[in-house]
Amino acid sequence: MRILMIGAAALMLISAFRLYAINYDTRDFAEQVQAQERRLEKIRQDIAILKADRALAARPEVIGPAARAMGLAPAREDQFTEPDVESHLAALPNETREAAGSSR
Amino acid sequence: MTSGIIITPGLPDRALAANAKRDRVSEAYLVRIRAVAAIAGVMLAFALVAGQLVRLAILGQGEVSVSMSQPMAIAFARPDIVDRNGQLLASDLIMPSLFADPALVVDKDELAEKLGHVLPGLNQAELRKSLADRDKRFVWIRRGTSTRQAEAIHNLGLPGIEFRNELKRAYPSGTLAGHVLGYVDIDNKGIAGIERFLDENGQVDPVHTPNLSNRPPVQLSLDIGVQHAVEEELAAAMATYEARAAVGLVMDAKSGEILAAASLPGVDPLVPSLERETMDRLSGGTFELGSIFKMFTVAMAMDSGKFTLDTPVDVRKPLSVGGFTITDSHPIGRILSVAEVFRRSSNVGAGMLALDLGAGRQKEFFQRIGLTGAMKTEAGSVADVQLPERWEAVETVTRSYGHGIAVTPLQFAAAAASLVNGGKRIQPTYLRRPTGSESDGERVISEETSRQFNALMRSNVTERDGTGRRANVPGLEVGGKTGTAELPGKGGYKEKSVISSFFAAFPMSNPKYVTLVSLFEPQPIKETSMQITAGRNAAPVTAKIIARIAPQLDVMSRSETP
Repeated sequence: MRILMIGAAALMLISAFRLYAINYDTRDFAEQVQAQERRLEKIRQDIAILKADRALAARPEVIGPAARAMGLAPAREDQFTEPDVESHLAALPNETREAAGSSR
Repeated sequence: MTSGIIITPGLPDRALAANAKRDRVSEAYLVRIRAVAAIAGVMLAFALVAGQLVRLAILGQGEVSVSMSQPMAIAFARPDIVDRNGQLLASDLIMPSLFADPALVVDKDELAEKLGHVLPGLNQAELRKSLADRDKRFVWIRRGTSTRQAEAIHNLGLPGIEFRNELKRAYPSGTLAGHVLGYVDIDNKGIAGIERFLDENGQVDPVHTPNLSNRPPVQLSLDIGVQHAVEEELAAAMATYEARAAVGLVMDAKSGEILAAASLPGVDPLVPSLERETMDRLSGGTFELGSIFKMFTVAMAMDSGKFTLDTPVDVRKPLSVGGFTITDSHPIGRILSVAEVFRRSSNVGAGMLALDLGAGRQKEFFQRIGLTGAMKTEAGSVADVQLPERWEAVETVTRSYGHGIAVTPLQFAAAAASLVNGGKRIQPTYLRRPTGSESDGERVISEETSRQFNALMRSNVTERDGTGRRANVPGLEVGGKTGTAELPGKGGYKEKSVISSFFAAFPMSNPKYVTLVSLFEPQPIKETSMQITAGRNAAPVTAKIIARIAPQLDVMSRSETP
């Protein structure tokens, strides 16, 4: 009986301490989570600003003059052409044309 | 405490027995006392644990969370708006807003003056007036400052001012597509354009602290590069032709996706404007667009089966109807084919075609292609078509060449696109659709009519008698129709004030995109031989726009057969 009592009391004390420990651990974790969330929010805000800055810098009216200064020009419609395969083939010598035709 | 038998030397056996009995009673008593004490101790410990648990349950919850309804929200977290390629058009930023407690401000003049150096545009007189009332404990000085400004203000060390973080909408592209994007109010709530659409469709979250939205970005159909090209060419055209305003539209002919929508003078989404000059003429204003309407008249005639492109139309004499006489600005003096009526933009010819088909058919056709019904896009309602009730012979004739009916350029373009896209009605949209999606709208003309009509549109740009020759871009198979409409004024139409428009599609062998350019009140200049017709101004502007945007839209240039 005595051993049982002592055991119960010890168990109770251990449980109480464990409960305290879990409680404070939980609070610590909650604070850590909050700190991480704050950090995350701050990073998200920074990303939002950086994205806005990038969009600001990538505006066509900003890129255009910068590209001109580098000697670049806007793409012209004649630079995007569908290759006229038939006429190119027709211009080739007979042997080359036949070889190209067989490989198509 | 001791236990056991106490031996007392010299006592008799009876006394010893009595002592032993007394000790046994005492021992049992002690055991009972100990047990009660132990039980009490255990119970006390459990009571403490229980008490602590109750305390933790009540006080250990951390921050109290309260669910608040929308009216009590302090701001609205909005998702990003991006173009069809993911380029950012609008985004929320958390920015410090500056306020003052007048009771704590030591020197309001010094404060106003010093802040004036950091915050451009600050109304110092107004601020001094607000700070003079020391009973007020809260005065906004500037909603939304940059981080740099906030740092500079902080470094001033002025007493009585503080910052509060707020959600502010930012538009990195400035005024680009300003009319489409719309506005938000001071609390970040959408009040116009796409911003309002987001609110109406539950994509905005009321928040109590300035938090960014977790929602995915809203992807528009707009293409920043195409939008910029259109706005830049329109601005240049306004300067060249001294026009009061201009609108431009680029739309996917098959899906109805709008790639560029511009109305100049433009607006800044950060500065809501109700100025008449900056109104959205593309979807907020209705106009008589003139001869560009002959597209509908000729398509209707072709689709009726009564006319082919070669059917002769006698336009030698003016057309008299209902007491009015309709003439051509440049009478031809000979019989024209239907194709020539279109290319030479003959009012008499268009009127004759419409009269032959009748008012009922015209009315039904306009309705079928979506010209006379209500229209709405994600950017808001499109202004209703202005169409007087009366629809007799005279109205049938005038409407055949675009007078007596006023529509928004957007509604016109959507209806016209259905003529060139194979004959299906489309619904314009500002939202990105899956690549390759096509309209599932009702058929408005047959595929064959659409094919023939496209050839006619192309011939208006390639043939010598076409009014759209200056819209040609070698290799891109541009087709289109001009329209020069006199603006109504006191006592009739103003001859020198016109809206000159050009509707185009490209490549005409299988139109992918349609464009519309309208210049409001262009002036006669030397470069246009002192003319103000669309063929002289709107058509070449269209050519410049198409030449610029075709490479961006992956429309390949083709070698053309002469």
